[in-house]
Amino acid sequence: MILELLAVGLVVSACLAIYLDEAVYSVAALACTFIFMTILYALSNAIFVAVFQLAIGAGTLAVLFLSGEMLSEKPREKKILKKMLPAVVVALLMSFPAIFFSVVVTPANVSSEVSFAQALWNMRAIDVVLQGLVIVTVALGIAIILYERKVGES
Amino acid sequence: MDYIILSVTLLAIGIYGLLTKRHLLKVLISIELIAMAASMNFVLLASSLDKALGEAFLILAFSTDTCVTAIVLGLLVIVSKKYGTCDIRKLAEIEQSEKGADEENKS
Repeated sequence: MILELLAVGLVVSACLAIYLDEAVYSVAALACTFIFMTILYALSNAIFVAVFQLAIGAGTLAVLFLSGEMLSEKPREKKILKKMLPAVVVALLMSFPAIFFSVVVTPANVSSEVSFAQALWNMRAIDVVLQGLVIVTVALGIAIILYERKVGES
Repeated sequence: MDYIILSVTLLAIGIYGLLTKRHLLKVLISIELIAMAASMNFVLLASSLDKALGEAFLILAFSTDTCVTAIVLGLLVIVSKKYGTCDIRKLAEIEQSEKGADEENKS
Protein backbone atom coordinates (compact mmCIF):
# COMPACT_ATOMS: atom_id res chain seq x y z
CA MET A 1 0.00 0.00 0.00
CA ILE A 2 2.84 2.40 0.87
CA LEU A 3 4.60 1.67 -2.43
CA GLU A 4 1.38 2.36 -4.37
CA LEU A 5 0.89 5.68 -2.56
CA LEU A 6 4.51 6.59 -3.29
CA ALA A 7 4.00 5.77 -6.97
CA VAL A 8 0.91 8.00 -7.13
CA GLY A 9 2.78 10.81 -5.34
CA LEU A 10 5.72 10.40 -7.71
CA VAL A 11 3.60 10.72 -10.84
CA VAL A 12 1.50 13.60 -9.45
CA SER A 13 4.54 15.61 -8.35
CA ALA A 14 6.32 14.94 -11.66
CA CYS A 15 3.24 16.16 -13.56
CA LEU A 16 3.05 19.28 -11.40
CA ALA A 17 6.76 19.97 -11.93
CA ILE A 18 6.11 20.10 -15.66
CA TYR A 19 2.67 21.70 -15.60
CA LEU A 20 3.06 24.63 -13.18
CA ASP A 21 4.12 27.86 -14.87
CA GLU A 22 5.94 29.44 -11.94
CA ALA A 23 9.54 28.17 -11.80
CA VAL A 24 9.77 28.09 -8.00
CA TYR A 25 6.60 25.99 -7.64
CA SER A 26 7.92 23.65 -10.33
CA VAL A 27 11.15 23.17 -8.40
CA ALA A 28 9.14 22.56 -5.21
CA ALA A 29 7.18 19.83 -7.02
CA LEU A 30 10.47 18.37 -8.30
CA ALA A 31 11.71 18.32 -4.70
CA CYS A 32 8.66 16.20 -3.79
CA THR A 33 9.51 13.88 -6.71
CA PHE A 34 13.05 13.48 -5.38
CA ILE A 35 11.77 12.74 -1.87
CA PHE A 36 9.24 10.15 -3.08
CA MET A 37 11.93 8.53 -5.20
CA THR A 38 14.33 8.37 -2.25
CA ILE A 39 11.71 6.71 -0.03
CA LEU A 40 10.89 4.28 -2.86
CA TYR A 41 14.55 3.33 -3.14
CA ALA A 42 14.92 2.95 0.62
CA LEU A 43 11.85 0.72 0.82
CA SER A 44 13.19 -1.40 -2.04
CA ASN A 45 16.35 -2.22 -0.04
CA ALA A 46 18.56 0.04 -2.17
CA ILE A 47 19.88 2.06 0.78
CA PHE A 48 23.14 3.21 -0.87
CA VAL A 49 21.28 4.56 -3.87
CA ALA A 50 18.71 6.26 -1.63
CA VAL A 51 21.51 8.06 0.24
CA PHE A 52 23.17 9.10 -3.04
CA GLN A 53 19.84 10.27 -4.44
CA LEU A 54 19.15 12.32 -1.32
CA ALA A 55 22.61 13.93 -1.32
CA ILE A 56 22.59 14.76 -5.03
CA GLY A 57 18.94 15.83 -4.93
CA ALA A 58 19.59 18.26 -2.06
CA GLY A 59 22.40 19.96 -3.99
CA THR A 60 20.53 20.03 -7.28
CA LEU A 61 17.36 21.40 -5.72
CA ALA A 62 19.20 24.14 -3.82
CA VAL A 63 20.76 25.37 -7.06
CA LEU A 64 17.49 25.00 -8.97
CA PHE A 65 15.60 26.98 -6.28
CA LEU A 66 18.13 29.79 -6.50
CA SER A 67 18.11 29.94 -10.28
CA GLY A 68 14.31 29.57 -10.37
CA GLU A 69 13.93 32.56 -8.07
CA MET A 70 16.48 34.52 -10.10
CA LEU A 71 15.06 33.72 -13.52
CA SER A 72 11.31 33.91 -12.88
CA GLU A 73 9.89 36.67 -15.06
CA LYS A 74 6.23 36.81 -14.07
CA PRO A 75 4.76 37.77 -10.67
CA ARG A 76 3.48 34.79 -8.68
CA GLU A 77 -0.09 33.69 -9.26
CA LYS A 78 -2.43 33.43 -6.29
CA LYS A 79 -5.02 30.99 -7.72
CA ILE A 80 -2.54 28.17 -7.97
CA LEU A 81 -4.79 25.51 -6.38
CA LYS A 82 -7.48 26.00 -9.04
CA LYS A 83 -4.86 25.64 -11.75
CA MET A 84 -3.31 22.56 -10.16
CA LEU A 85 -6.55 20.55 -10.06
CA PRO A 86 -6.69 19.36 -13.72
CA ALA A 87 -3.02 18.42 -13.62
CA VAL A 88 -3.53 16.41 -10.42
CA VAL A 89 -6.52 14.56 -11.93
CA VAL A 90 -4.58 13.73 -15.11
CA ALA A 91 -1.58 12.60 -13.04
CA LEU A 92 -3.80 10.34 -10.89
CA LEU A 93 -5.19 8.74 -14.05
CA MET A 94 -1.64 8.31 -15.39
CA SER A 95 -0.49 6.58 -12.21
CA PHE A 96 -3.22 3.89 -12.33
CA PRO A 97 -1.52 1.66 -14.98
CA ALA A 98 1.60 1.38 -12.81
CA ILE A 99 -0.54 0.19 -9.89
CA PHE A 100 -3.04 -2.10 -11.58
CA PHE A 101 -1.08 -3.59 -14.52
CA SER A 102 2.19 -5.45 -14.67
CA VAL A 103 4.81 -6.46 -17.23
CA VAL A 104 6.41 -9.89 -17.04
CA VAL A 105 10.19 -9.61 -16.70
CA THR A 106 12.49 -12.55 -17.40
CA PRO A 107 15.66 -12.15 -15.31
CA ALA A 108 18.97 -12.37 -17.16
CA ASN A 109 21.24 -15.26 -16.31
CA VAL A 110 23.79 -13.26 -14.26
CA SER A 111 25.25 -14.41 -10.95
CA SER A 112 23.51 -12.71 -8.04
CA GLU A 113 26.32 -13.34 -5.56
CA VAL A 114 28.00 -9.98 -6.16
CA SER A 115 27.82 -7.52 -3.28
CA PHE A 116 27.58 -3.75 -3.74
CA ALA A 117 31.19 -3.15 -2.66
CA GLN A 118 32.46 -5.90 -4.98
CA ALA A 119 30.47 -4.55 -7.90
CA LEU A 120 31.67 -1.02 -7.21
CA TRP A 121 35.38 -1.60 -6.54
CA ASN A 122 36.35 -4.97 -8.07
CA MET A 123 34.35 -4.62 -11.27
CA ARG A 124 34.20 -0.87 -11.77
CA ALA A 125 37.14 0.68 -9.87
CA ILE A 126 38.67 2.45 -12.91
CA ASP A 127 35.23 3.65 -13.90
CA VAL A 128 34.58 5.19 -10.49
CA VAL A 129 37.95 6.99 -10.49
CA LEU A 130 37.39 8.22 -14.05
CA GLN A 131 33.98 9.62 -13.24
CA GLY A 132 35.52 11.52 -10.32
CA LEU A 133 37.98 12.99 -12.84
CA VAL A 134 35.12 13.92 -15.16
CA ILE A 135 33.32 15.76 -12.35
CA VAL A 136 36.50 17.65 -11.36
CA THR A 137 37.13 18.59 -15.02
CA VAL A 138 33.58 19.88 -15.45
CA ALA A 139 33.77 21.90 -12.24
CA LEU A 140 37.13 23.41 -13.29
CA GLY A 141 35.76 24.16 -16.78
CA ILE A 142 32.75 26.01 -15.37
CA ALA A 143 34.98 27.95 -12.95
CA ILE A 144 37.34 28.96 -15.80
CA ILE A 145 34.46 30.04 -18.06
CA LEU A 146 32.92 32.14 -15.29
CA TYR A 147 36.33 33.65 -14.44
CA GLU A 148 37.01 34.55 -18.09
CA ARG A 149 33.57 36.16 -18.37
CA LYS A 150 34.24 38.18 -15.21
CA VAL A 151 37.63 39.32 -16.57
CA GLY A 152 36.05 40.16 -19.96
CA GLU A 153 33.29 42.22 -18.33
CA SER A 154 35.74 44.17 -16.17
CA MET B 1 2.76 -2.40 -8.54
CA ASP B 2 4.95 -2.47 -11.64
CA TYR B 3 8.13 -0.40 -11.68
CA ILE B 4 8.58 -0.63 -15.45
CA ILE B 5 5.20 1.00 -16.12
CA LEU B 6 5.97 3.60 -13.45
CA SER B 7 9.30 4.48 -15.06
CA VAL B 8 7.67 4.57 -18.52
CA THR B 9 5.06 6.98 -17.11
CA LEU B 10 7.83 9.21 -15.70
CA LEU B 11 9.68 9.01 -19.01
CA ALA B 12 6.52 10.03 -20.89
CA ILE B 13 5.99 13.02 -18.57
CA GLY B 14 9.63 14.08 -19.09
CA ILE B 15 9.45 13.77 -22.88
CA TYR B 16 6.16 15.71 -22.91
CA GLY B 17 7.81 18.52 -20.94
CA LEU B 18 10.87 18.46 -23.19
CA LEU B 19 8.73 18.81 -26.30
CA THR B 20 6.16 21.34 -25.12
CA LYS B 21 7.79 23.66 -22.58
CA ARG B 22 9.68 26.74 -23.76
CA HIS B 23 11.32 27.89 -20.52
CA LEU B 24 14.89 26.57 -20.20
CA LEU B 25 14.43 25.70 -16.51
CA LYS B 26 11.41 23.54 -17.42
CA VAL B 27 13.51 21.81 -20.06
CA LEU B 28 16.10 21.08 -17.37
CA ILE B 29 13.41 19.71 -15.05
CA SER B 30 12.18 17.48 -17.91
CA ILE B 31 15.71 16.16 -18.43
CA GLU B 32 15.91 15.45 -14.68
CA LEU B 33 12.67 13.47 -14.86
CA ILE B 34 13.91 11.45 -17.85
CA ALA B 35 17.16 10.67 -16.01
CA MET B 36 15.16 9.74 -12.92
CA ALA B 37 13.02 7.31 -14.95
CA ALA B 38 16.13 5.68 -16.39
CA SER B 39 17.83 5.34 -13.00
CA MET B 40 14.67 3.95 -11.44
CA ASN B 41 14.76 1.06 -13.92
CA PHE B 42 18.34 0.28 -12.91
CA VAL B 43 17.75 0.36 -9.17
CA LEU B 44 14.38 -1.21 -8.73
CA LEU B 45 14.92 -4.03 -11.20
CA ALA B 46 18.34 -4.73 -9.68
CA SER B 47 17.01 -4.72 -6.13
CA SER B 48 13.97 -6.82 -7.00
CA LEU B 49 16.26 -9.41 -8.66
CA ASP B 50 18.73 -9.14 -5.73
CA LYS B 51 21.66 -7.98 -7.90
CA ALA B 52 23.96 -5.22 -6.63
CA LEU B 53 25.49 -4.46 -10.02
CA GLY B 54 22.55 -2.27 -11.04
CA GLU B 55 23.03 -0.07 -7.98
CA ALA B 56 26.76 0.24 -8.70
CA PHE B 57 26.08 1.27 -12.29
CA LEU B 58 23.63 3.89 -11.10
CA ILE B 59 26.33 5.94 -9.39
CA LEU B 60 27.81 6.66 -12.83
CA ALA B 61 24.36 7.76 -14.00
CA PHE B 62 24.02 10.06 -10.97
CA SER B 63 27.39 11.74 -11.57
CA THR B 64 26.64 12.21 -15.27
CA ASP B 65 23.24 13.64 -14.40
CA THR B 66 24.80 16.10 -11.94
CA CYS B 67 27.32 17.23 -14.59
CA VAL B 68 24.50 17.78 -17.10
CA THR B 69 22.53 19.80 -14.55
CA ALA B 70 25.57 21.96 -13.68
CA ILE B 71 26.39 22.67 -17.34
CA VAL B 72 22.78 23.45 -18.31
CA LEU B 73 22.35 25.73 -15.28
CA GLY B 74 25.59 27.57 -16.13
CA LEU B 75 24.40 28.07 -19.70
CA LEU B 76 20.98 29.14 -18.46
CA VAL B 77 22.40 31.86 -16.22
CA ILE B 78 24.73 33.14 -18.97
CA VAL B 79 21.94 33.18 -21.57
CA SER B 80 19.47 34.92 -19.27
CA LYS B 81 22.06 37.57 -18.36
CA LYS B 82 23.03 38.16 -21.99
CA TYR B 83 19.58 38.15 -23.63
CA GLY B 84 17.25 38.83 -20.69
CA THR B 85 15.02 35.85 -21.41
CA CYS B 86 14.94 32.07 -20.94
CA ASP B 87 12.30 31.41 -23.60
CA ILE B 88 13.70 29.06 -26.26
CA ARG B 89 11.64 30.54 -29.11
CA LYS B 90 12.60 34.11 -28.22
CA LEU B 91 16.25 33.05 -28.07
CA ALA B 92 15.94 31.44 -31.52
CA GLU B 93 14.40 34.66 -32.87
CA ILE B 94 17.19 36.75 -31.34
CA GLU B 95 19.81 34.44 -32.87
CA GLN B 96 18.17 34.65 -36.30
CA SER B 97 17.97 38.43 -36.15
CA GLU B 98 21.64 38.59 -35.08
CA LYS B 99 22.62 36.34 -37.99
CA GLY B 100 20.63 38.54 -40.40
CA ALA B 101 22.36 41.66 -39.07
CA ASP B 102 25.79 40.01 -39.47
CA GLU B 103 25.05 39.05 -43.09
CA GLU B 104 23.89 42.60 -43.86
CA ASN B 105 27.09 44.02 -42.37
CA LYS B 106 29.20 41.61 -44.46
CA SER B 107 27.43 42.49 -47.70
